[in-house]
Amino acid sequence: MTTNADARSSISVIVPVGDRQTPIDRLFAEYESGVAALGMPYEFVFVLDGPHPSTESALVKLIAQGKPVTVVSLTRYFGEATALMIGFERAKGSIIVTLPAHLQVEGSEIGKLVAALDDAHMAVGYREPRASSWWMSLRQRAFHGLLKFVTRLSFHDLGCAVRALDRKVLEEVQLYGDQQRFLPLLAERQGFRVRQVPVRQSKDDRRDEMYRPRTYTRGFLDIFTVFFLVRFTKKPLRFFGMIGIATFSLGILELVYLIFERIYFHSPLADRPALLLASLLIVLGVQIFALGLLGELIIFTHAGGSKDYKVDRVIQYPEAADLIEPAHAPVAQSGGRFGVSFPVSG
Amino acid sequence: MYPPPKLSVIVPYYNEEDSIGAMYDAIVAAIGPLGISFEMVFVDDGSRDATAARAEELARRDPRVRLVKFRRNYGQTAAMAAGIEYATGEILVTMDGDLQNDPKDIEHFLAKMDEGYDLVVGWRHKRQDRLVSRKIPSKIANWLIGKVTGIPITDNGCSLKAFRASLIKNIPLYSEMHRFIPAMASIAGPRIAEIKVRHHARQFGQSKYGLSRIYKVLLDLMVIKTVASFTARPLLWFSMLCLPLALIGLVTLIGGLWMTLPDGGMSLPLTGSGIIFLSAVLTLLASGTLGELIYRLGDVRPENFARLTMKSTASRTPL
Repeated sequence: MTTNADARSSISVIVPVGDRQTPIDRLFAEYESGVAALGMPYEFVFVLDGPHPSTESALVKLIAQGKPVTVVSLTRYFGEATALMIGFERAKGSIIVTLPAHLQVEGSEIGKLVAALDDAHMAVGYREPRASSWWMSLRQRAFHGLLKFVTRLSFHDLGCAVRALDRKVLEEVQLYGDQQRFLPLLAERQGFRVRQVPVRQSKDDRRDEMYRPRTYTRGFLDIFTVFFLVRFTKKPLRFFGMIGIATFSLGILELVYLIFERIYFHSPLADRPALLLASLLIVLGVQIFALGLLGELIIFTHAGGSKDYKVDRVIQYPEAADLIEPAHAPVAQSGGRFGVSFPVSG
Repeated sequence: MYPPPKLSVIVPYYNEEDSIGAMYDAIVAAIGPLGISFEMVFVDDGSRDATAARAEELARRDPRVRLVKFRRNYGQTAAMAAGIEYATGEILVTMDGDLQNDPKDIEHFLAKMDEGYDLVVGWRHKRQDRLVSRKIPSKIANWLIGKVTGIPITDNGCSLKAFRASLIKNIPLYSEMHRFIPAMASIAGPRIAEIKVRHHARQFGQSKYGLSRIYKVLLDLMVIKTVASFTARPLLWFSMLCLPLALIGLVTLIGGLWMTLPDGGMSLPLTGSGIIFLSAVLTLLASGTLGELIYRLGDVRPENFARLTMKSTASRTPL
């Protein structure tokens, strides 16, 4: 397991900066006091997701004061998950802490999360107790309930962007767009141990936000994406096939019924619009099924690049480590694809 | 660096704390006397009991044991694929981790491989399983797989198989394709042999699958058929799917145009249905073209498959 008490461990704090933000001086002071209290070397990486000139100048001022801060600015909005991944590329610490740009929790809570890493690969905070209106908590409950139904994994508060994680989690889990919320879920799918830690909500966070309808649509689509990512990425035909076969069978059933009526009750077939519906359903079913086949074709032709499994460790005594690389057949393309080294004991 | 061994025995297992030691002993006892260099690749598919610790103990005692550990349970195909990936031998033999296969049979597999076969598949001819829930479904499945892929193999479900490493390492294995390894490999046109193997009833633990897999097996077969036909003639497969639709469409359309209703008008639903079916043919053909595009851009090249199993002889006159 990770040995975080180790003198060598260090903390990189990644803060993706979007539209919602607390004045940077106050934010940094709060977070820094929390991180510094852990007594490990630390650095901050701020990723400005789109132009935020005033924030940028405030951060540059911090750098001038000699604070361990890196600032990365993106020219337009790319989404929080993309910002996180870009921040991660710059982060050097063995422990990564992600924090939101608005003060969601008090800085002193960060220590709890890092401590939780002692027996887990990732620790996510959930705000407890949480102040929110009935409308907000209803929304929360609907979201997490739906997610649990879809993925069979239960999380309290995925909206809480306060997380501490082992470096290797972000090395393996690929995120983009708005998927940062699902990071704990995707990490758990990769076999990492994820713990949920209650954190105290900060006063700033205790206000209600009204979202535009677009945000809700996006949230719903996100769930759909995750559903697909988690359940069917490797078997698109299972998903499309199910819908396709259902549609097709519905069409066939209707057709059989129409023919039955034609033969036994002599109700004419040729002037019934119901016939059109039956043909549409049959055709639609075949097409959806064909889409699934196309999906499978994509997976098959790219299967070499994305493996189904993650090897945790390869153990062999007393050979040298160079034997433990995956062995290649002579015909395989020799790209740098397998250039990952695994920890080897012995 | 060690010279690569001739034989790698790949054993994926999941929660087999009782069998793993016996498995190791049986393999060593069976292959040791043959006098060939070999290694054992144990793949721990996220076991939650003492299996991993016991396997690690074996690895500590014997440098020929390589243990590949998963962080969680990924399923048998993934475990097989990982074992194949980390094996270094020229010939790879896969077998079950639950003592149902007998390592003494490996000798016969090696003999067959020496005869020049690329893939040797075991056949549990006296299968020790329940008839209704295991044997009959598997008979039907095997018959169907043979029909669809054109390679009649009596027992696809037998884990005991031998492969030439250069062949199997280049066949993409994913999802639950371990049941179809010969079918997947058939894309490369390997020389396949079948031999009878002993099969023991489970000594320890519970069997890990049941009856509820028909849907999955059928769909996987469909996938194999698709990818296999794409390697040879990409558009052909989608055109075959189109054929019934085109026939129905034409018949309905012509019928609709020809027939007149009592009031003298044309039958709109019938003509409409014909048009719907025919337009579906167009979209399907478009999908087929898209598929061909995907195929061309992917990393799976039909030439690679041809190279896997080819043999070449040339006259010795230099140019």
